[in-house]
Amino acid sequence: MLSTLLEKELREIIYSTKFAVTFGASAVLVILSFYVGIRNYQESKREYEAARSVNIANIASLTEWRMAQPKVFRKPQPLQVLVNGTTNDVGRTTEMRAQGELNLINSRYNVDPLFAVFRFLDLNFVVVIVFSLFAILFGYDAINGEKESGTLKLVLSNPVSRAEFILGKLIGSFTALVVPLLIPLLLGCLMIIGFGISLSPDEWVRLFFIILGGLLCFGAFLALSTMISGLASRTSVSFLISLVVWIFSVLIIPKGSVLLASAFVDVPNLDAIEAQKRKFSLQQFEQRRQKMEEWIRANARPGEDWSGRFNSFQDSVGKMFENEREEFYGRLNEEWRNRKDHQERWAFGVARLSPTVIFQIAAMNLANTDIALKHRYLEDLDRYQDEYAEFIKKKVGTLGGMRIVIRFSGQQAPEEEKKPLNPSELPELVERTRGLGDTMAASIVDLGLLGVLTTLFFAGAFGAFLRFDVR
Amino acid sequence: MEESVFIEAKGLTKVYEDGLCALDHVSFSVKSGEVFCLLGGNGAGKTTTINLFLGFLPPTEGSATINGIDMHRDPLEAKKHVAYLSDVVMLYPNFTARQNLDFFARLGGKRNLAKEEYYSVLRQVGLQEKAFEQRLKGFSKGMRQKVGLAIAIIKDAPAIILDEPTSGLDPKAANEFLNTLLQLRSQRRAILMSTHDIFRAKEVADTVGIMNEGKMLTIKSRKELEHEDLEELYLNYIHGKVAA
Repeated sequence: MLSTLLEKELREIIYSTKFAVTFGASAVLVILSFYVGIRNYQESKREYEAARSVNIANIASLTEWRMAQPKVFRKPQPLQVLVNGTTNDVGRTTEMRAQGELNLINSRYNVDPLFAVFRFLDLNFVVVIVFSLFAILFGYDAINGEKESGTLKLVLSNPVSRAEFILGKLIGSFTALVVPLLIPLLLGCLMIIGFGISLSPDEWVRLFFIILGGLLCFGAFLALSTMISGLASRTSVSFLISLVVWIFSVLIIPKGSVLLASAFVDVPNLDAIEAQKRKFSLQQFEQRRQKMEEWIRANARPGEDWSGRFNSFQDSVGKMFENEREEFYGRLNEEWRNRKDHQERWAFGVARLSPTVIFQIAAMNLANTDIALKHRYLEDLDRYQDEYAEFIKKKVGTLGGMRIVIRFSGQQAPEEEKKPLNPSELPELVERTRGLGDTMAASIVDLGLLGVLTTLFFAGAFGAFLRFDVR
Repeated sequence: MEESVFIEAKGLTKVYEDGLCALDHVSFSVKSGEVFCLLGGNGAGKTTTINLFLGFLPPTEGSATINGIDMHRDPLEAKKHVAYLSDVVMLYPNFTARQNLDFFARLGGKRNLAKEEYYSVLRQVGLQEKAFEQRLKGFSKGMRQKVGLAIAIIKDAPAIILDEPTSGLDPKAANEFLNTLLQLRSQRRAILMSTHDIFRAKEVADTVGIMNEGKMLTIKSRKELEHEDLEELYLNYIHGKVAA
């Protein structure tokens, strides 16, 4: 009996115009999201390679490392273009300095503000907006629609139990809708291979879990709207309720959670922090100037290797001030980060009421485009800055930064023939992407939560139908 | 020859949670080859009676049995012996007439039927040949009703329950429908039909039960009605001019 009900559900959905239209639109959007993602990745990769080449050429045109102003670039990752997350908000270029705070500039949205307004079409968008709506369109009248058309009484006048009917409905509709959606998703995966983008085995596994998360999110909405259909007697009512639930899930809860978190957890304004940093820098500048003046006064008579001693003094003073700065900035940054983390935990905690947000968090973690992307990259840059500082110190003898260069007449070194710099000597920035274990650990709770929600909604739909008034 | 009772209500009572008594100790029986018409206005208790016979509601008191099986106690077994047709027969609009028939036939336990068997039943109810493989979304109410009746026929159940089957049908379609019903009667099926159409009831009914406010006011056989004006009788009962 269950197989008959399952088959009917499959055929009823697949034969419908609603299915043809919604599936067609979803399939096109899924394929388009893969295509746009692939093209964006290729473009980002080209931009990345071009920027690196220009950077290398710039360095190679110089003869002194002292004059070099190398830049480092964030490497585009293929999964980042399928699930954008925060990647387009985070700067891609950093002007390297041996000391001082590093800034990320040239974020994608900064370069293309149009995309900041309309955003890119990615898999995340398709799942969150299109799949969830698709599920609701098929679930809102699953039970009460059959009542209105008289088929529910007709079916149940046969030796069919309510449990069989609702199981057939839930499993049948889930299968009828999910299996066809797998086709464009599979095509998207083939496009990745076809366009010559090489994903590591880890990335394939992560992509698989992103897709699984998307289907679970779809299942949650399908079961939720079916449950609503079993609780409301009329389809017009269940459609309205489902639509309100969808609006809350997709729009109100995510935005509301941020507002709530901002109201409950106070995070210092970044401008206020910058002002504190500027004030501290100015104080340091003045102190440093005074120390240099004192040293010059105390060493008024140039002796043997005066400039060498002066440079050493500058380095030690510079080091001392840099340590102080690092400590002060670090403290400010840490305090801000801690408050921000607290606020984010609040926001995500509240936002997890929505299945779409749960999927979003899981997908961003799997694609490594989660909210901590910038933080992780800055950590990479901090490590790289230490390597870079060591390299510069070796090449130039100092760390650069603010210093006074004094040359005495007659002491000028004879002009040497200077060789162009070899850029390959520069240490390479190694971006430490999270391994599969770490990404899975970060996303497994949310994937599990999606699974639990889907199961709960399925159980809710089941329970609602057992009590449903079929008259 | 003694006819066997296929549909039987014994002291059937339904009181809702809010205290409303929708059905008050209603008793009647429908034998094989008999058409029993439940006649009554809106809220008389006709549909409640049918809902109790189909197991959509539990009775407060009494029993509704199909082929001797209590619908409340063993609904799945009882439903094997009854076919049903309601006034709202939208069916599955994306399925063809044959596909609808096939689905409900399988639910009723008829599997692996040949295409010709479906066509034969569809012919029996008077559906045009060209409509057999057409989707129902373009069908008129009369055509859908014919498919609905075909669904009831193909189940081959000894008892058939029809809830206001002619409502919304034009006179020609209603007439065709009732002709098919008479054929079913000749096949010894027990037919329980609710209606508020007195003329059609008189035309096809072997027995008429007049209901009002949840009570069965009277049950009259065709023979008893031969010398009475059913409309007048009905109105007299409804207005309390005749004691129930």
